[in-house]
Amino acid sequence: MMKVISGNEAVALAVKLARVGVVGIYPITPQTTIIEELAEMKARGEISTDVVRVESEHSAMGVTLGAAVSGVRAFTATSSQGLLYMHEMIWWAAGSRAPIVMVVATRAVGAPWNIWNENTDFMSERDSGWIMSFASSPQEALDLTIQAFRISEDPRVFTPMMVGMDGFILSHTKTNVYIPSQEEVDQFIPPRRQPYVIDPETKESMGNIFQPYHYMKLRQSIHDAINESKEVITEVGREYEKLNPLTDYKTLNVSYKLEDADFAVVTMGAWSLDAMEAVDRLRDRGVNVGLYRVRYVRPWAEEEIIQNLGDKKAILVFDRATSLGRAGPLYLEMKATLDNPMKGVIAGLGGVSMGKKDFYEVISRFVEESKEGRLKGVEWYYPREVKEVELGTPRSSI
Amino acid sequence: MSRLSLEYQFFPVSYPAEGAGGKTGNWRVVRPVVSDRCIGCNACFMWCPEGTIGVKGKRAQVNYEYCKGCGVCANVCPVKAISMVSET
Repeated sequence: MMKVISGNEAVALAVKLARVGVVGIYPITPQTTIIEELAEMKARGEISTDVVRVESEHSAMGVTLGAAVSGVRAFTATSSQGLLYMHEMIWWAAGSRAPIVMVVATRAVGAPWNIWNENTDFMSERDSGWIMSFASSPQEALDLTIQAFRISEDPRVFTPMMVGMDGFILSHTKTNVYIPSQEEVDQFIPPRRQPYVIDPETKESMGNIFQPYHYMKLRQSIHDAINESKEVITEVGREYEKLNPLTDYKTLNVSYKLEDADFAVVTMGAWSLDAMEAVDRLRDRGVNVGLYRVRYVRPWAEEEIIQNLGDKKAILVFDRATSLGRAGPLYLEMKATLDNPMKGVIAGLGGVSMGKKDFYEVISRFVEESKEGRLKGVEWYYPREVKEVELGTPRSSI
Repeated sequence: MSRLSLEYQFFPVSYPAEGAGGKTGNWRVVRPVVSDRCIGCNACFMWCPEGTIGVKGKRAQVNYEYCKGCGVCANVCPVKAISMVSET
């Protein structure tokens, strides 16, 4: 069924279709409409899910983790400061090997307050031991959320998974979304499997003190499980085509006009589509450029990236996130994977709008620079209309 | 639920066992005694800070090798089935 819905509505529908048992949730802009939608579904009697309102994001993940280890399919969603407040419990969920699905509607992190889009909050959870995928459209947000339940509950994985989507840009924009039927999703997601269930009968307990060697072994097992999940992800993706033949999830990441390209652009998330249009325009003018969209941050698709980008003359990586004092996280990951000449661009932070004109400008400048052999490391890009911004403070005279 | 094990899979689950300090039951000055009133509700199991009470069938059982006699079980028992009896 095709329906015009926003990214947040798409996620709520995915949660409904996956027959989630418990949703532990706390509202934060721009994720709020996911829980509003779920609460309305509950009020209308469309879902039997327990929608648990808690007092903070820390508790939201606590409720979700508690439900998950007692054998129930559990979901939560958050954003920005909420994700950071949840940080501790995110590590507990990963270390507990509890299959959980979380959607992150990305947003800039304060101070100062800013509710607009930026991926730094999402990218800052890279080390926690979750599988991390990032959507580029409301359709992909729905698809990845449904797939996430199956991936995280696979015996080869047993690791929680988060799905990112650009706040407001995807979460609040309505587009055509293809929604699979309940029967199809029921067949797609098997009954919940998990490594252990907290049960008074068996006296099993979790979260106890681990001796150093056991602790290290557990860390390694999470690392191995995330690497093994690459196979599971492509397997699940191929099977998902039965539900929606219009999508392509055969690979972890997506390449666009890359086969014959000399120059490659790497992006992640919603602005990839603007970048694709810029690539098209450059192709029309005879510039040999292609695009590679990162869909999975963890596991990192190293082999796929080397295969697709290893032979390129130069690579341009767009980051909508920063590791302050260093560079964009995606740029650093790419740099660690490839030996090609590379340039990083940090742009679009805190909701600064990046259109196809801006992409066109940056990419064509990058092609010129690399032809002249003067690629510089990292650039902070401000679109033309905001170039004159100056920060003034009351104490600037000091 | 079947315990699925792949070679690299390892899970953070543990069971009550003897600690590095050995048997700790000799710390006790009062011991919990379970009477016939026990309904097997699991409250003592859930609250026991040492994991020394287990419920088998409909009856709570105390592992006196490790029970330190703190009395939490007797306090939380909803039917007052556990009483704390002096060791001497």
